[in-house]
Amino acid sequence: MYETLRNILVDTLKVAPEQITPDATKDDLDLDSLAFVELSMVLGKEHGLHISDDELFDMETVGDIVALMEERAGTGR
Amino acid sequence: MTGLDVAVTGLGLVTPGGVGVDAGWAAVLAGRSAAAHDPVSAGHEVTISCRVPGFDADALLGARRAVRLDRFSALALVAAREAVAEDDVTAEDAARVGVVIGTSAGGGATFERQHGVLLADGPTGVSPLVLPMHLPNMVAGQLAMEFGLRGPNLVVSTACASGATAIGVACDLLAARRCDVVLAGGVDALLNPLTMAGFARMGALSRRDDPATASRPFDVDRDGFVAGEGAAVLVLRRAEDARADGRRVRARVVGYGATADAHHITNPHPDGRGVIAATRAALADAGASPADVGHVNAHGTSTQLNDLVEGRVLAELLPSGPLVTSTKGVTGHMLGAAGAAEAVFTVLAVERGVVPPTANLTTLDPRLELDVATAAVRRRVDLALSNSFGFGGQNAVLAIAKA
Repeated sequence: MYETLRNILVDTLKVAPEQITPDATKDDLDLDSLAFVELSMVLGKEHGLHISDDELFDMETVGDIVALMEERAGTGR
Repeated sequence: MTGLDVAVTGLGLVTPGGVGVDAGWAAVLAGRSAAAHDPVSAGHEVTISCRVPGFDADALLGARRAVRLDRFSALALVAAREAVAEDDVTAEDAARVGVVIGTSAGGGATFERQHGVLLADGPTGVSPLVLPMHLPNMVAGQLAMEFGLRGPNLVVSTACASGATAIGVACDLLAARRCDVVLAGGVDALLNPLTMAGFARMGALSRRDDPATASRPFDVDRDGFVAGEGAAVLVLRRAEDARADGRRVRARVVGYGATADAHHITNPHPDGRGVIAATRAALADAGASPADVGHVNAHGTSTQLNDLVEGRVLAELLPSGPLVTSTKGVTGHMLGAAGAAEAVFTVLAVERGVVPPTANLTTLDPRLELDVATAAVRRRVDLALSNSFGFGGQNAVLAIAKA
């Protein structure tokens, strides 16, 4: 899931790859609320992971988002 | 007479002639048309357009920045960076620095693309960036964010007069002392399928087989314009301030006339009444007579009606016979950018004493008694006019004088 998230951040949101680490926060990556809407859309449409932008926005770090993605994938939602 | 006297202290240009003032000016002087068949319009009635060659927003602005910009904002940002590199407005009191940009439709390409997404995927497929990318005002906002400029921040829309109107409004802000510096210009990037189809359906576009000869202002065989894209930004200051600061002044904007034909949605008034009034207003601002005009960068779209009405007005109003040119033979019609880009070309003509040619003019329409440049002409020009007219009958004429 980390690689999936990393690829979305790089390909869709154009975040520099070297900035992305498990501990990076949304401030570190300069991700605003619109970015989380985009992220939510790509996760749902391309990966079948239905996580709202509000849920994503509440996460502190990249690692937290990955954990949420894994949890959601595991529940099959 | 208002005694308008505004110094041009920075220039930035992105045109189908290339990225940068030097590239655009060289293309115009060479009379080298930038028109080509455009894959975006493949299968349309008309497939010719004038794109900016080699414009790579990711490389020029950074991918992170570019991904949130419609092409129209990206073009304007690149032009503004060039202008600001010449006159560093970031050194000013930011609250006194304004931005006025003209555009006919803002990020129309983004709007069109996202409408396609809406139809295909439904509302939840629509990008959250559609409005920040599409709204016309965003281009001025982007420039303000880029350079930290906190003065009046405006976008004006007068169709194909937008770029010239923006410069005129900027001059008014300076004259009223609401600003000390203004970034002013115009931009459009509307070579998207819907806009191109719309222009084609209204019969405005040239249908010649050969793109390079399609845009031919004032030629007897002209049959419509070639749509283009581009951006131009000028740094403007009160001339008295620029002189006091010892700044390099490229030329001065000394007059501005803005009028409406109040006549028809696309056609100019047959008597050219709006154009005549705008020209007289610009000359009155400048305290000049028609005999003082040495050069006119005409609107010169290459359509039957515009060129006929404009040409007749120029012949009637300016019997001294100024050297007339339309740079649209090279750039095509850059729509909301045209007036600003042509103001830049006029500044360069005045500054450097060279009037550029009208590309593709082979046989002047015999109904026009004009002295139209068909090759670059070295000539001192003390006062020039730059004409811009928009659908809806909106007219803007700028008077530009030697520094």
